[in-house]
Amino acid sequence: MNWLKRIFSRERLYGDLSDEIREHLDEKVEELIANGMPEHEARLAARREFGNVLAISERGREVWQFPAIESFFTDLRFGLRQLRKNPAFSAVAILTLAFGIGTNTTVFSWISAVLLNPLPGATHPERVVALEELAPDGESKRTSYLDGRDFRDYLKQIDSMTIAREMAFAVGSDTVIERVWGELVSGNYFDVLGVQPEAGRFFSIAERDDAPNAHPVVVISHPYWTSHYHSDLSAIGANIRINRRTFTIIGVAPENFHGSMPGETFDIWAPATMLGQVNSGSDWMLQDRKTRMFRALARLAPGVRIEQARVEVQAFAHRMAVADADTNEGMSATLFPMWQAHHGIQMSLLGPLSVLMSVCGLLLLIVCANVANLLLARATSRQKEFSVRMALGAPRSRLVRQVLTETLLLAIAGAGFGLLTAIWLSDSLRWLVPGTGIPSLARPPIDVRVLLFTVALALGVAVLTGLVPALQAGRENVNEMLKDRSRSGTSSARTRRLRGLLVVAEVALAVITLVGAGLFVKSFHLARGIHPGFDPNNVAVAHVSFSAAGYNLQQADSFSQRLQEQLAREPGVTAVGYSDFVPLSIGGDSWEDLEVQGYVPGASENMKIYRTVVAPGYFSMMKIPLLSGRDFNLQDDKTHTPIQPVMIVNQEFVRRFISTGDAIGRKVHGWGAWFTVVGVVQDIKYFRVNEAPIPYFYVPARQIYRPEDGATFYVRTGGAVEQAMIALRREAQALDPAVPVFNVSSLNDSIAGSLFGQKIAASLLSVLAGASLLLACIGLYGVMAYSVAQRTNEIGIRVTLGAQPADILKTVASDGLIFTLAGLVLGSIAAMVATRMISSMLVSVSPADPVVYAAVTAITIFIAMAATAIPAYRALRVDPMVALRYE
Amino acid sequence: MKKSEQRDLFPGALEMMILRTVKRQPLHGYALVQHIKRASNDLLQIEEGSLYPALQRLLKDGLLKAEWGVSATNRRVRTYKITAAGEKHLEREVTSFEKMLDGISRVLVPVKS
Repeated sequence: MNWLKRIFSRERLYGDLSDEIREHLDEKVEELIANGMPEHEARLAARREFGNVLAISERGREVWQFPAIESFFTDLRFGLRQLRKNPAFSAVAILTLAFGIGTNTTVFSWISAVLLNPLPGATHPERVVALEELAPDGESKRTSYLDGRDFRDYLKQIDSMTIAREMAFAVGSDTVIERVWGELVSGNYFDVLGVQPEAGRFFSIAERDDAPNAHPVVVISHPYWTSHYHSDLSAIGANIRINRRTFTIIGVAPENFHGSMPGETFDIWAPATMLGQVNSGSDWMLQDRKTRMFRALARLAPGVRIEQARVEVQAFAHRMAVADADTNEGMSATLFPMWQAHHGIQMSLLGPLSVLMSVCGLLLLIVCANVANLLLARATSRQKEFSVRMALGAPRSRLVRQVLTETLLLAIAGAGFGLLTAIWLSDSLRWLVPGTGIPSLARPPIDVRVLLFTVALALGVAVLTGLVPALQAGRENVNEMLKDRSRSGTSSARTRRLRGLLVVAEVALAVITLVGAGLFVKSFHLARGIHPGFDPNNVAVAHVSFSAAGYNLQQADSFSQRLQEQLAREPGVTAVGYSDFVPLSIGGDSWEDLEVQGYVPGASENMKIYRTVVAPGYFSMMKIPLLSGRDFNLQDDKTHTPIQPVMIVNQEFVRRFISTGDAIGRKVHGWGAWFTVVGVVQDIKYFRVNEAPIPYFYVPARQIYRPEDGATFYVRTGGAVEQAMIALRREAQALDPAVPVFNVSSLNDSIAGSLFGQKIAASLLSVLAGASLLLACIGLYGVMAYSVAQRTNEIGIRVTLGAQPADILKTVASDGLIFTLAGLVLGSIAAMVATRMISSMLVSVSPADPVVYAAVTAITIFIAMAATAIPAYRALRVDPMVALRYE
Repeated sequence: MKKSEQRDLFPGALEMMILRTVKRQPLHGYALVQHIKRASNDLLQIEEGSLYPALQRLLKDGLLKAEWGVSATNRRVRTYKITAAGEKHLEREVTSFEKMLDGISRVLVPVKS
């Protein structure tokens, strides 16, 4: 350990070196004196001949050091001392940086949880991809049980494939029922994801066959195990009642695993073959290729890239489209990485999160510019220090390193606080996701990826903030600086120009964020104003699950009729109805392949038409105008002979498919039967408020029954919606406590989900943009205040020479105005370019909306003037006598 | 500052001269620098101090060793001696220097017309 010895013996080595140099100088002086030179001259000459003693000793010592590291630690110690010496400066810089880094880390932790690490707990999750079927018009669909099995059996580029379907289960006895979200999965689900059981086992080989209803076993999640079984191993083998059937718990999933939908958590996994048991005995969906209810996840074979596998999947889907032409004609299929998959929250969050991340990036740049500005101001007052160090022989690179070390310290401290903020805010991803219908979202963990991101951010910030001040350090001429003892901290024109540029950049960046926020605010405002085509006010809604109660068609029908009658008797209630889908809510993408009499679809036309199952009276309750024909009635069922299946279609349906002749009486084929169109209703907004009209149809609840969809009951009231909500829950429970009631809310709240993304974008971006503007103005204020302080002398002279307050004001404020206007122009141009990327996310607003730009300009100028006003006011109060003495 | 640019003709030159000088006779720093200046006929402008970092490097690499003692003029001095490794190093350096010098002079020979 030679180097270790060296470190410990270094003090002696250094001592030797200084002794030696001293002796050298003495000897020289002695010799010169002996040659007849006066002593003090001899001393000077000896030093001149020798060179810079300090620098040479340091170079000599450096031989024994690891200069890079040791000088870094010296810089670090010195930097810490500097920061402690200026607590106000340090606090402001660190807090600003913490804010900038904290917001970035928080948003990144959301992105990490939703997009980068969509399948926590899985082994090599990057090898797992989503297999999606594609309708003829390219719309992404799920897969059916049979299609999924074929994909699994025939694809060579895929190592293994599993299917999963999310479902709300009713767990518990007949009287105490809890709603638990789970997944129906194929037996190899955990193998494909590469998950090992925490306790017990996963599905055995025997439990993986296709035999329907043969394996009543479930795996539970770790949180469920903890909350319901106190993490007791006796849970394994215990019975659990799900949708009124008895299952046996065979295993517990590991703690970090929460299912196959990114960002969502599930607590129960049951074999897909048990669908009949949890779905009122009906499991024909497993035998129907058209019932595309499963998400498919595939693990790529070793060494296979997704592009290669995609080719095979497409080719195989085309073969299926021919072989199973009756169900799969025109269908294709493809693979997506999980973050691009369409079934899960990642799709709806991809856009908002990208926008948020970009805005946070802009914010961080402003923060960096602000801190750089502070550093430049301080660098001016530190010029003496730097000059002295340079005079003592420090190379400029050493000064640059010193400044960078100090910004690194600031950035690290900022990142530390920022990380704390992110941890504190990690629960906040819930804000981004509408609460209805979706299983609760996992709390995004602050994992290694997030930590690395924060560290990288801190380094980047250190360089960004430090670079300009660092390069400024030691630029000044040493002699000039040392001579210039009179003025306290003058700053060169160069530094002033740099600071001005930084302020312009800050204002420009703030303008970009303001324009973005403005566009989203206006978009949200307009979207909220769009009439959905039905009246969502004064309506209470609640969802009931028939499958959980094991109801068949008759039971569901009788329950629904009786509940409607009970509710109609409630005081204030004006109308009651039910359907299987709430427009503008989440989910409900049920569709049917239709054939319209007299209409020949185009080659790639998508005839999978969305539909809702409704009860008589639904349209009048929703206030959707019936344009022609009649509403459904209670005789539209399967018992009145002759059975005549009927449907009601919307305007767009008529426009697209029934261009000639009367719509009423037209025959339409679906579900293996011919339906007669009996009515036409006005279009409403079904999925998004800004959607173009889509063809849509309705079928009566007594003819088409889907127990897995349950039913949503609506109560329109003249009184308080809250009262109606209470009545809804009470009456449903009174009729049959075994029927779980959930998502009781007002219709307005439940359709708010469709605007949720807009609302979040508008509110979060407003906050961030406000912060950006504030920071930019603090920067502006700093520069203005500093410039007034610098010019006190000049102002004093001007006042003495007879300048009026207005003149002074003009001199001072014009600088601020120029910075602001330059920033505004640059920012607006950049915003024009940048906001084009978000145009698809805006509702009825052009990215170049003049009102938004005008508002941003006004706000920016107003705030900027406020930031200039204080320094300007100070300038006005300058007393010429004081100012002239101000040296 | 110009002086210091002239000082090192090429990296390692100063070290080579130190080793060569000390090989002949152990010397202390001051005597060493005076000797080099004198021997070079004062053609080489050496900042006296620049000797010391070079000495430290040679010490660290084990090419020299140093000992405190008392000089003839009754002055406390640190005398440097060359080590075996130092002699070997010097030999190698001188050979390669001569080769380089040879190469350079061949190029610099005036073109025969």
